[in-house]
Amino acid sequence: MSEDTLDDQFAALVGTIVSRGGPQVAPDPVNRPMIRHWAAAFGDANPVYVDDEAASASRFGQVVAPPLMLQTWTMPTPELTGIAERGGSPVATDGPGPLDLFDRAGYVATLATNSEFEIVRYLHLGDVVSAETVFEDVSEEKQTRLGPGRFVTWATTYTDSAGEVVGRQRFRILKFRPEGVPS
Amino acid sequence: MSGALDTPVAARGGAGGAGTVSVGDELDPLVIEVTATLIVAGAIATRDFMPAHHDRDFANAQGAPDIFMNILSDTAYCSRFLTDWAGPDAAVRRLAIRLGVPVFPGHTLTYTGSVTATRIEGDDGIVEVSFRAAGDLGDHVTGTAELSLPAARVAP
Repeated sequence: MSEDTLDDQFAALVGTIVSRGGPQVAPDPVNRPMIRHWAAAFGDANPVYVDDEAASASRFGQVVAPPLMLQTWTMPTPELTGIAERGGSPVATDGPGPLDLFDRAGYVATLATNSEFEIVRYLHLGDVVSAETVFEDVSEEKQTRLGPGRFVTWATTYTDSAGEVVGRQRFRILKFRPEGVPS
Repeated sequence: MSGALDTPVAARGGAGGAGTVSVGDELDPLVIEVTATLIVAGAIATRDFMPAHHDRDFANAQGAPDIFMNILSDTAYCSRFLTDWAGPDAAVRRLAIRLGVPVFPGHTLTYTGSVTATRIEGDDGIVEVSFRAAGDLGDHVTGTAELSLPAARVAP
């Protein structure tokens, strides 16, 4: 296919939804066990995440979830069987994925480059988070040190059960054609 | 910077540090000795089951010398680095990181940063920070963040 046609196809992705089947709803509400597990894994002793008394006396007035745990709540429940065979994809998928166009264009390799979060409000115990991700931008082909590729930016909006925005994330990857590998 | 901010966060209690944050202040460095256990614990706590973060054979097959830290762990450590220094009354409002070289077991990750700007917005003191996390192979993460603190703790 011609380069113009490819550019048009990539441009047409902008604004479309990346996640299959609509917004991803967190399998569990914001809860103490997952917060405690997270805080222990990262050695984060901030008392507002786990200690009712300290949290009540703080600006937050109650226990809050670690702000950068936002993305964790909506991570899909994995299907461990076959995970390696699926290239590490945690869930089985049917049909071509949203990045299929990049693979077909020869941009088979992926490198994450940027992650940006805006925390609109801290989450409380019981909050149920949903995430919806759209393609925000697809760059024209650029020559990088790894090979020719396109930068892809996803924008995720996180909402609570009332539909109010609690945070936003912008995630950028480079989809590239490794040098020396024919497309 | 006041010594109050140097006290371990757990010891400061809910009131936060008494120190005032000013432009040019250095954040308390955070040093992470990276092990396989730490990488796996972080990946699972963030519900990231990609095998490259827990299965060395899989990582090897993908061309990596070992399992490597996942991005959700990176942002988690960034948030710990920021609030360990600023105290429990600090709220992270914005975090933007650029990903550099990977981090493998046996490496040491050192977070350092400084305050680049401050301003007062009503009851909130807004603190902008620029930081980096240096690993054995170079900068693993570079980034900026914006925190909100009680206005009395921030020098405009």
